[in-house]
Formats: sequence, C-alpha cells, structure tokens
Amino acid sequence: MDVVKSWRIHVFALVIVILTELIGTKKITLGPATLLFLPMLYAMVIGAVVSWPRLKLLKLPEMKASSAALGVLTFMLITKLGVGIGPAIGKLLNSGLALSMQELGHFLGTVILGLPVALLLGIGRETIGATYSIDREPNIAIIAERFGSDSPELRGTMAVYICGTLFGAIWLGMFAGVMASMNIFHPYALAMGCGVGSGSMMAASSGALQAAFPEMGKDILIYAGASNLLTSTIGIYFALFVSLPVTEYLYKKLSPIIGRGPIHQAASKGGTN
Amino acid sequence: MKITEYGLMLLIAGVMAVIGNKVGYSPTVPVGEAVIGYLIMVAITLVGIGVQRVLPFKLPIVFWVSIVAILSTTPISPIAKTVTYYTDKVAFLALCTPILAYAGLAVGKDLEDFKKISWKIVIVALCVYTGTFIFATMVAQVMLHIEGVI
Repeated sequence: MDVVKSWRIHVFALVIVILTELIGTKKITLGPATLLFLPMLYAMVIGAVVSWPRLKLLKLPEMKASSAALGVLTFMLITKLGVGIGPAIGKLLNSGLALSMQELGHFLGTVILGLPVALLLGIGRETIGATYSIDREPNIAIIAERFGSDSPELRGTMAVYICGTLFGAIWLGMFAGVMASMNIFHPYALAMGCGVGSGSMMAASSGALQAAFPEMGKDILIYAGASNLLTSTIGIYFALFVSLPVTEYLYKKLSPIIGRGPIHQAASKGGTN
Repeated sequence: MKITEYGLMLLIAGVMAVIGNKVGYSPTVPVGEAVIGYLIMVAITLVGIGVQRVLPFKLPIVFWVSIVAILSTTPISPIAKTVTYYTDKVAFLALCTPILAYAGLAVGKDLEDFKKISWKIVIVALCVYTGTFIFATMVAQVMLHIEGVI
C-alpha cells in the first residue's frame, strides 16, 4: 500500500474539496437549534458515496490508502492547533483547572451515558469494550490485550470503532453545531468538549463551533486544541488504569438491575444476585 | 511510513487546503501567504514526527507534533511572530475538508463489517461520542465559572 502513489484517491479528494468549498456552509434553523452543514461534512458523505463498494470506483487498497492519508493529515490539524496555543499559553494557564478537570468528563462521559443505554438495550459483555472509552486505535489494543482477540468485549470495542470511522465526525459536527446554537454552554466550555481524542471528530466539532462563533474562532481552537492534546496523551493511561476498571465494576453492579440480555435474566433466575 | 512519504502526502493535501482556503474561508488572503503558512506547518509536523522517531522512549506522535508546534510560537521562540503571521493565513476549516474527504473515501472498507453490527450498538456508539463531548463540556462550564474565565 503506497499512500502517495494511489493517485486516484488524491484526484477524487481534490475534486470533492473544490466542489464542497464552492457550495460553502449552509444553515438550517429548527426551532431553538441551528443545523450547521459544513463543506467538510459534505466532503465525508461524497467521499463515502465514491467508496461505496457497489459502485466499484475504488479498490480496497485505495480505501486503505485513504485511511492512511487521513492519519497523516490529522497531524496537520494538531500542528495548526499547536501554533495557536503557543502565544496563548498564559491565557490557558488561567483556565488550567477547568482544562484538567474537564478531562474527567471526556474519560468517564463515555461510560456515564453509554453503559446504562447499552444495558437497557440488552447488550451483554460487549458493553464493557463499547463504552469504556471513545474506542479509537489505542483503545482497541488495551481491550485485545486484556480480554483476548475473540472476546465479546473486543467485539464491542470494534463495533464502536467502526461506527466512529463511519459517522462519528458527522454526528459530533452536527451535535456541536446544535449545542452552539442553543446558548446553554459558553463557547469555551464547548470548545474544551471538542477535544475528544479523535482527529476527525475533533475537527468536525470544533469546526462547527468556529463557524457558529466566528468572532471567537481563535480562542475556540486554543481550548479545543489544548483539550485534545490532554485527551490524546493522558487518555490512554486513564483508559487503562481508571476507565476500564470503573466500567467493569459498573457493569457488574448495574447489569443485574437494568440489564435485559439473556445472560442477565438467566443469572437473576439462578439467584446468584 | 518514510518521512518523505509523510511530506509528500502533506503537500498533496496542501494543494486542496490552499484552494479551499481561497474559495471557502479566506478569499482576501493572498495565495502566496497561505502557501508559506502551509509549508511552515508541514515543516513543524515533520520535525515533530522526526523527534518521535529518534527518541528512545515512545510517546504518541500527536504529543511531539503538539510540543514542536507550541514551542515554535511561544514567546521564547525567535521565529514566533513569523510562524504566527503565516500560519494564521490558513483557516482551520480549510485543513478539515481534505481530511474528511479522505475519511469518506475510506468508508467502503468498513461497510462489510458495519453490516454485521446490531443497530443497538450504533445507538450505544452515538451515546459514547455524545457522552464524552457533553460531560467534558459540563465540567468545563462549571470550572471556567469557578476560575472566573467566563
């Protein structure tokens, strides 16, 4: 797989970028919320259509090369965010406590919302792998090592990983845009929320905020960038040493109460709980 | 992947980012300045990747790229003003569009696996992303108030 030599994907990407940037950002107001449609979101959708296997426009190695290209380009976003942070270091230290504490929200928010929903939907041990983290590449390794490559936990992680690749960015981009339009949270707080530790999801959500609050664009990138830096460096250790044990504990405690899967019913009938 | 491959890939996407910058976000910025800004960011990114490779202990590339980028514009850096001036000319959103275009072009490879996933896990996945975003935002909101920033 040679990323640079897969010239067809670059031609497709170039055409898609020109087309979507010409269309530009569109807003649709729905009651109190505004849906923000950014060129990058159309770009993802058009790209997905081009790569649709039935159309046979792209071959599998080309799709893999696109994925590798995505990985390389994410570092440019990190650089762009970093050069914005440099001059604002002093300003960031003023909100140092907020910046460090909100990481707890990033690390545990996946479990707090995801775990009860998974149990109510009747999902079994997949719940642990699915909800203990945002399930990007490093998180897969943790679960594979802990539970083995043929475990339900790893299936859960992989499922969320695939969903993230397919529509994580679009979802968070739209969601962040809606939250921005509702005036519940300060743009700085939302910006920190964007640092979820996935390049494409961070790009889509902080991009949406920037489009919603153009006059605060620079500050938004500073806070989103700093938060993302923390999430992606500390996140892996926190996931391993805190989030995973916490998720396992909560699963053990909560699944007999709100779990609906066949395993839980059997267990409660057996009187083990 | 070789450093040269990283560099070439960043340059290919640079063509798209500079076009997008002109068409979509910063029509008044001269293309030449955006090109310089983009090339500076390519240099910073490659230095970050290089640092990660030569160091004996392993931290994520993201970390080193961030550190090099931040150091280049902190007040102690002699090139801070130049780097800030030119990199400011490239809009963040102009960098995002090519990235998500490639993300889209990669979608086909995961579709077969996706078909095997239950709709229930899809809902859980959306809750996972929403949860991490919204809980961090909530904590940040409270703490920023306490610190008097907002």
